[in-house]
Amino acid sequence: MTVTETNPRIEVAGVQKRFGTVEALSDVSLTLNEGEVLGLVGDNGAGKSTLIKTLVGIHQPDAGEIRFDGEPVTIDGPKHARSMGVGTVYQDLALVDALSVAENLFLGRKPVRKLGGVVPVIDEETMTERAERILRDRLDIKLDPDTPVEYLSGGERQAIAIGRALVTDPDIVLLDEPTSALSKAAVERVEQLVEQLKESGHSVIIIDHNLEEVRSMTDRITVLFQGRTVDTLETEAVSRDDIVSMMVSGKPLADPATAGTGQSSTAQHSPSD
Amino acid sequence: MSNQSPILAPLQTLRESNRTKLVLFTLDNLIWPILLVAFVFFSALLPEIFTQYRNIRFLLYTSAGLGAITLAESICLISGNFDLSVGSVAGFSAMAGALFLTEWAPGAPGVSGILVVLCVGGAIGLLNGVLIAKMGVNPFLQTLSTLIIFEGGILVLSSQSVYGLPESYLWPGEAVISIPVINPIPVAIFIMCGLFVGLWFVLSRTRFGRAVYAVGGNEASAAEAGIATDRVIITVYVISGVLAATGGLLLTGFNGGATPTTGTSQLFPAFTAAVIGGISLFGGRGNVVNTLGGVLLLGTISAGLVMLNIDPTVIQTVNGIVLLAAILLYTVVHQYRERLLSDL
Repeated sequence: MTVTETNPRIEVAGVQKRFGTVEALSDVSLTLNEGEVLGLVGDNGAGKSTLIKTLVGIHQPDAGEIRFDGEPVTIDGPKHARSMGVGTVYQDLALVDALSVAENLFLGRKPVRKLGGVVPVIDEETMTERAERILRDRLDIKLDPDTPVEYLSGGERQAIAIGRALVTDPDIVLLDEPTSALSKAAVERVEQLVEQLKESGHSVIIIDHNLEEVRSMTDRITVLFQGRTVDTLETEAVSRDDIVSMMVSGKPLADPATAGTGQSSTAQHSPSD
Repeated sequence: MSNQSPILAPLQTLRESNRTKLVLFTLDNLIWPILLVAFVFFSALLPEIFTQYRNIRFLLYTSAGLGAITLAESICLISGNFDLSVGSVAGFSAMAGALFLTEWAPGAPGVSGILVVLCVGGAIGLLNGVLIAKMGVNPFLQTLSTLIIFEGGILVLSSQSVYGLPESYLWPGEAVISIPVINPIPVAIFIMCGLFVGLWFVLSRTRFGRAVYAVGGNEASAAEAGIATDRVIITVYVISGVLAATGGLLLTGFNGGATPTTGTSQLFPAFTAAVIGGISLFGGRGNVVNTLGGVLLLGTISAGLVMLNIDPTVIQTVNGIVLLAAILLYTVVHQYRERLLSDL
């Protein structure tokens, strides 16, 4: 199956971001096409999470451009990104332990009703009802929406974080290490979910350390190295070793046939974890 | 707490989870049984006197000012911040209002003085909030400096007590109204209860209130979920300042005038009451209604000691011991809670 080149939903062009003297992103460019799953790989510190946080406006790029549907945009923050149809699952899950499942699912956008027609109060009923529906239909797990998140297992927490990203029915979904804390069975559930998202026409960027998972879930893979894009390749056309070689050397494959020979023999650190 | 365990769950699990919920509920509201024990204890030592309606009413009345200042502290703690300046904000704003009415604009209606008090409190809160949220100043250091600035500021304004204030200015803290059955009763008690219920409502029922808990529970997560954390923190400090100023106003009425020491002595009791009321110093947890229990516990203990003719200088020591006991208790409870949760 070949991916037909459709409209790019997100384009990142030459984005730079520095924190003090640390250059987190020095030159990142990538394209997320409509209806594709794009894998984002790279060693620790390659800039993957920084890029995600830049895409949702937690960080503002120092240089370069981000385009949504071809239009250059300045993203003010997660709320703005959400309004443009982007749902995000953060690496740290961004849950508040002391609050309930329902509150976490609707963190920052709780449904309100007017008490006595004047005072806006949280519509607990609607919130619980919608939370139950998300838990049942989208996540397929049995949980009481009133349960504080601190009671949950790692897999359940991950599910809640994913559920929250889907609450607003985004058509672009950013997943930062959605499987890092999960058991094998739970990883399969995430893989299914990504599959479902793709089938229903969503565009997905997924960061994952496990290259086998990346290869099974994605259409294309973008490799980052020390804050810059190395290359973007069709998943089917690239081997696991090729990806590792690019992640470690920071150089694109000279020619897929002769990949890894002679090119990166200059002293490089070995792949850590 | 609604209980929505699946109906099909085995009866045994259902019963156990209900028991767990009950235990957790008790642990989260531990202050009320403790208050009851303290009250029964002093009632036994002071039969007839301590349980009199007059005594209970006085106990509530003396708690009003501290109650408002405790709320000021509590909302900051829930948001994961600190406010060391609540006491001096109370004193400074009350003194500013008193001088406004007696020297700066003599003859102005008392209500305008009340407005000055609340505005001064709110403005100091705004200063705290903006510097903490926007400049990233450490809340402890920020409010420590406002504590020092405005504690000194009170003396800059006036080193002497200001009396002869308009009745309408003193009214909230001083007036007694007659109501059938429970008459007569100080207005301050109603104001205090109103503040507790009002803040509880805001914190538990509105988007802003839940955002305060979210920011206190995990600021980074709240930001990633799209909550404007800076705005939440600034608003929290403004509310804290206004509440502290209200406390100062109630204390002024209680004392019949603005004294330079009004308010400044309230920081530690307010802190103590918040902590023994179960507000977490780490933010994101606690119910402000329970801090009323904390305020009343301190009130009960000091009233009991006074009525037992124990030297009033001992009271602070006793309060300190109560705080220590509360901290130890909550540490144990916290560990027990973790164990209980890990079993689920």
